Amino acid sequence: MAVQSIPLPNPSHLHSERIFRKLIDSVTDYAIFVLDPTGHIVTWNPGAERMKGYHADEIIGRHFSIFYPPADLEWNKPAYELKVAAETGRFEDENWRVRKDGSRFWANVVITRLLDDEGRMVGFGKITRDLSERREAEQRYRLLIEQVTDYAIFSLDPGGIVRSWNTGAERIKGYKAEEIIGQHFSRFYTDEDRAKGLPAQMLARATRDGHAETEGWRVRKNGARFWSLVVITAMRDEEGNLTGFSKVTRDITDRKQLLDQVRQHAHELELRVAERDKTNAELEAFSYSVSHDLRAPLRAISGFTAALQEDYGDKLDETGRDYLDQVLQASARMNQLVTDLLNYSRLTRADMELQPIAVAAAVKAALAELDADAQHVKLAIDKRHAVVGHEATLVQVLFNLIGNALKFHEPGKQPRVTVTSERNDGTIAVRVRDEGIGIAPQHQERIFKVFERLHGQEAYPGTGIGLAIVKRGIERMGGSVRVQSDLGQGSTFTLELPAVDGAD
Amino acid sequence: MVEDDPADARLVQRAFQKVNHGLKLLRLKDGDEAVSYLAGDPPFDNRLLYPMPEMVLLDIKLPRRSGLEVLEWLRRRTGPLRRLPVVMLTSSRHSVDVNRAYELGANSYLAKPDTASGLEELARSFQQYWTRFNQPPSL
Repeated sequence: MAVQSIPLPNPSHLHSERIFRKLIDSVTDYAIFVLDPTGHIVTWNPGAERMKGYHADEIIGRHFSIFYPPADLEWNKPAYELKVAAETGRFEDENWRVRKDGSRFWANVVITRLLDDEGRMVGFGKITRDLSERREAEQRYRLLIEQVTDYAIFSLDPGGIVRSWNTGAERIKGYKAEEIIGQHFSRFYTDEDRAKGLPAQMLARATRDGHAETEGWRVRKNGARFWSLVVITAMRDEEGNLTGFSKVTRDITDRKQLLDQVRQHAHELELRVAERDKTNAELEAFSYSVSHDLRAPLRAISGFTAALQEDYGDKLDETGRDYLDQVLQASARMNQLVTDLLNYSRLTRADMELQPIAVAAAVKAALAELDADAQHVKLAIDKRHAVVGHEATLVQVLFNLIGNALKFHEPGKQPRVTVTSERNDGTIAVRVRDEGIGIAPQHQERIFKVFERLHGQEAYPGTGIGLAIVKRGIERMGGSVRVQSDLGQGSTFTLELPAVDGAD
Repeated sequence: MVEDDPADARLVQRAFQKVNHGLKLLRLKDGDEAVSYLAGDPPFDNRLLYPMPEMVLLDIKLPRRSGLEVLEWLRRRTGPLRRLPVVMLTSSRHSVDVNRAYELGANSYLAKPDTASGLEELARSFQQYWTRFNQPPSL
C-alpha cells in the first residue's frame, strides 16, 4: 500500500494556510482534523462538529481517545492506531465511535502520518466518515439473506471455502453455520460428482462466465440426497480481482419428482402404445388368416356348386337346382359377411392418412361400384366442395349409405335417391335422401351398431355391418353421421366432415 | 401353378380348361417343391418330363416356403431363370402383400375371385393378355 504522507514545514505553518483552511472548513460530510504526535486535537472542521457534536472551543486540545467506546479504551486502541500510522504512514479502520451525547455511530477512520520536510513526524491527519446508514443497509441486507429459508445462500472464498451461511442453507443442507464455515463446499456434492471434479468445474465456469448454473443431486449433512438448482456467481472487487463466489441453491426435489413422475407416465404410455401396436399387429395377422383361410373353403363351396350347376344342372330337377341356388346364395352371404367384418375391423385399427377429397369424385366412385342401380340416384353436389378425409373410407361409407338408400324401399316401387352437399361453418354436409320405407325413431340409434338388423334376410338381405362401418369410418375421419327418418317417410342420412379451406 | 389348396387348384384348372386352348397348367403343392422344380433338382431333374415353364402362377400363403420367398429366390438367380414371368394369384388383398410382391419383382398380382364366374372371367383375360399380347422373355 502506498504510504500517504503529506510533507508540511510545521504545525504553525498549517494554521496560516488560508485556502487550505477554507477548503477543510467547507467540508461538512467528513470530520477532518489534525492531531499532534501525542494524539491531541489541533484543528476542527464543521464536518467534525456536525458528526461528533463538539464545538471547536471545547474539543481543541483534548485527546482524540474521547471518541472511542470504553471497550476500545480498555486495550488502548487509540494509542495502537497512532503507533500503526506512525510506523506505516497510515491506519484505516471501520468501527464504532462515540458522539458527545454518548450515542454511537459506525465510522470509517483514516489516520495519516504528517511529516515535515526533514521527514520528522509532526502529527496526524484524521478523516472520519459516518457509515451508519450504509451499515444499516448492509445489516438489513444481511438479515434478509440470513432469514431466507427457501434458498440456501452462502458465500465462498476464491478457493471454495464456505465463508457465510444463511438459515435456508442450514435448513436445506442440514449444517449449522459454525459447523460449515471454513469447510470446502465440495462436501455438498455426491461422491460421483466429486470424482468427476464437478465442484472445481463449477467454480471455473463461474470465474470464466461470471456465473454457472446447474441442476443435480446434492448431499445433505445426514447423507440424504436432494435435487438442487444451483447458481454460482463470481464476486469481484472494483479492480476486477476475484474475491469469492456467492452460491444460491434451491431444493427442487419435489419438482424433480413431479417431473420424473410425468416422464414415468409418458414412458408407460409409450409402452402401452407399443403394446397396442403389437396387439394391432396380432389382430392384423388374425384378420389376414381370416381373409385367407375362411375364404378358401367358401370359394370351394361356391366354385364347386357353380361347377355342379353348369356341368350337371341338366341332370337335376327344379328342386335340386334350387337347392344349389340356396348354397350359392348362402356362400355369397358368408363371403359378404367376411368382407364386411374385415373392413370394419380394419377401420378400427388402421392408420388413416387424411387428405383433401372432392366430394363429387368420392360419390362418383361409390356409384361406379353400385353399377346398374346408380341410375336411380340424382346428384346435387357442388363441385368445389372438398373435405378432409380418407378416400377409400369415404367411398366405402358413401357406397354403404347409397346402397342402403337403394335397397330399403317398398317391393315393386322404383327407388329414388338424392345425394346433395352443403357448406356449413367449417364443415361440408353430405346428405343421402331416399323415399323408402323409413326407420322408426326407436330404432334410429340401434342401426349404427354392428350386427343390428331390422329386417329378415328374405325382405332385405344384409350383414348388419354396413351402417356400423359408416359410423366408425366417419368418426375415424373426424366427422359425424346422423339420421332423420320416420316409418314410411323415407330416410335422410347426413354426413358431416371438416371442409377443406377455400372450398365454399 | 403353385397352390396348396386342392379345391382352389382344381377350380383354377377347370376355369383355365374352359377358356383356353393349348395352355398346360402344372400344379406344385408348396414353396419348396416350386424351388426344386425350377432349379431342376431331383425328382424334377428330367426336363423332358418336367419342362421349364413359360410362367408361374404363385400363391402367397404356402407351406414350407411362402410364395414371396419363392419369388425372392427366383429373382436372385444369375441365369435367365430370373426373368421368368411371375403372376401372383392369391386370396390376400392386403396392400402389404401386394406392395412386397411388386418390390420383389412380381409381374402381376391377381386376387382370387370369390365366384366361379369370376374365376372364369379371370382365366379368359389371363389367357388373352399373357398368351396373345404379352411378349415373353427368352428363358
